[in-house]
Amino acid sequence: MFARLANGNVAPSRVIEGQATNLSRTMHGIAYDEINDEIIIPVALSGAVLVFKGDAKGEVPPVRAIQGTRTRLVRPHTVAVDPVNNEILTADPSMRAIVVFDRMASGNVAPKRVISGPKTGLLDIVGLAADPIRNVIIGASRKGNGDQVGLFIFDRLANGDVAPKAFIGGPKSKLAHFRQVAIDPGTGNIFLAQQNTRMKQMEAYVLDKPREGFKLKDDDDDDSDSGRLDTMGFVAVYAPDDNGDIPPRAIIKGPGIRLAGAAGVALNTKKKEIIAVGGNGFQTFLLPDFFRALKKPGSTNQQP
Amino acid sequence: MRRILISTAAATCILLFAGGERSPQANTDGPSEMTALDDLLAEDCIDEVATGIAQAARRLPQEGGVTSDEWPPNAIGGVIPPIRSVSDPFPTFDGIALDTVNDKVIFSDENRHSLLVYDRTAGGASNDPAEPVQYVFGPKTKLGFIAGVEVDPVRKEFYTVNNDSGDLLTVFSYGDHGNVQPRRSLTLPHQSWDVSLAPKRDEMAITVQQSNAISFYKRGATGTAAPIRTIRGLATELEDPHGVYFDEAHNEIITANHGNWTQIRPYSPYDPQTTDVGEYKSGAFHPSAITFHAADANGDVPPLRTIEGDLTGLNWPMGIDVDQTRDEIAVANYGDSSVRVFRRGDRGNAQAVRVIRGALTQIVGPVSVAIDTKNDELWVANYGDHTASVFPRTASGNVRPKRVLRNAPKDTPTCGFTNASAAAYDTKRDAILVPN
Repeated sequence: MFARLANGNVAPSRVIEGQATNLSRTMHGIAYDEINDEIIIPVALSGAVLVFKGDAKGEVPPVRAIQGTRTRLVRPHTVAVDPVNNEILTADPSMRAIVVFDRMASGNVAPKRVISGPKTGLLDIVGLAADPIRNVIIGASRKGNGDQVGLFIFDRLANGDVAPKAFIGGPKSKLAHFRQVAIDPGTGNIFLAQQNTRMKQMEAYVLDKPREGFKLKDDDDDDSDSGRLDTMGFVAVYAPDDNGDIPPRAIIKGPGIRLAGAAGVALNTKKKEIIAVGGNGFQTFLLPDFFRALKKPGSTNQQP
Repeated sequence: MRRILISTAAATCILLFAGGERSPQANTDGPSEMTALDDLLAEDCIDEVATGIAQAARRLPQEGGVTSDEWPPNAIGGVIPPIRSVSDPFPTFDGIALDTVNDKVIFSDENRHSLLVYDRTAGGASNDPAEPVQYVFGPKTKLGFIAGVEVDPVRKEFYTVNNDSGDLLTVFSYGDHGNVQPRRSLTLPHQSWDVSLAPKRDEMAITVQQSNAISFYKRGATGTAAPIRTIRGLATELEDPHGVYFDEAHNEIITANHGNWTQIRPYSPYDPQTTDVGEYKSGAFHPSAITFHAADANGDVPPLRTIEGDLTGLNWPMGIDVDQTRDEIAVANYGDSSVRVFRRGDRGNAQAVRVIRGALTQIVGPVSVAIDTKNDELWVANYGDHTASVFPRTASGNVRPKRVLRNAPKDTPTCGFTNASAAAYDTKRDAILVPN
């Protein structure tokens, strides 16, 4: 945890770590529940979702842990919280599923709803956000070549093998290798952190087994944040009703600002700040215009 | 680096003020909007440079397209400098490999993605950083979020493993320096963490976190060469394995485990969903442990013995090394910032025979350890303090190190990131939360 005004090379003001926390050193998601003052973390290497008190510090156990055969969790990667409807959502790329639990769920409990199946289009789900005001759930899901890569927008109560109500993705969108997604509850604007514009590369292994027929390429460093100018990442912003193969309505991009590998994005809606994480650091951008209703690109008036 | 960042930002700011035409939208900005921005800036007492950046960013084109690029068309925003930036410009010490033949010590640096080579006698009482005699750094190196490091003193080569960002083992020579291609590379399973060489067998062992596995390769394997055998499965008791030591003297593989376990299934977007996995197994949190497997083990094989339990004090154990003359194992115990030394033959809920821990030791977040039987020393790489500490080989308790090797000036903080890729904002505490 860092003070919002932290700047430069600073140590965190608070750390939760150690054996008793049940955390691992591999976590790719986080959510903060401001109504209930709790921190929610998926632990991919333990098939679990942990909940900590908002002021947790040091080697403290979680107040709740969702884990077990009924949960159907294998490798939960990202997480979101809907404090209005009292739900915790996680996405599991191994299960190709968005899984919704009661916020107070603890132990070996079954999810309330599961969005999964061929109609959903979900595969490598690496970002997740819930908008209780507009009643939608957004999953950021990647695919290698072809198929749908982008933001999958579902009704909040969607359950089972259902098609998304909207989808943002396609060549004009340049969406490819992204991760965390966030929603501004005031406007419904959707923020997405994209590490680079190259599609996810095929890995040499399927878990611990060499992939049959795999051939090395010279540029198999798809997660690299080395800052290739032609494939640099960005933070993209969309309007809540966006749908189809469209470019972002607002964007933060490099070079020169160390945003080559933005993997995470968080919002401070009160201060109109956007926090982008990647490359072993984070940057804060002050952009009040990104927290207004966004008109379609090319329209005569961007402001409401 | 902080200066560079601020300078870059300031230069951008000046450029925007001096050269950028104000967009039509910017010209139409009403006083109330600018006041709102000024209010936001004033509330935080942001310094002059940050204020300039924010005000300049406010004037970026709103309708006329982004001046520096044509994509996306007519979008607001563009190349906008941050008002604040948190990162550590210095290297960190992660893995450590000691070469007492050629008197070198090699560190992996996960933060800046580099390998740093020092004279074995480097370090001392100085508050200043020591200069590496050699480093490998840059895009040609293919170094990503590297973890373990190993050295071959005979061939004068050193190895490291990308834990993330390019699933590779890369090998460099003592003659390599700067932004150079590796002498050879080998594709590895994702989340490989450590490498240990077995010179007599001409093999190497690689731990794989997410698969709870140890994969073995021929030492000179390159490209997409397959492992010659793999220890993996429920019986192995491998649980989020990190440090590994190939103990040829006793024909054992010694592994430090964090205790996280899940029955991983393929998740890559290139793989079909796996449904035929048999009985669904629950994820689990096990205690940290050190496992010992037969060197020839292959498949779902139980360990020969395990050190595990409350008395062990194991807490996120990372790198390990073996003292063959004293028949002991040393482990970098990240969770309580200690080094714990066990008898090599220990099993079960065994207490460490020695623990180096306390304020005087200056051990902070240790990730690796190396034993020097020739010079009677024990090295510790501290991820949390930009240092490596060198102790007498049998040091115990809260003792000062003999010397300290620094990669940054004394008391330089570190952010502690190890591939951070998500964030949340804590509204109650006005804080930014980042998981690693």
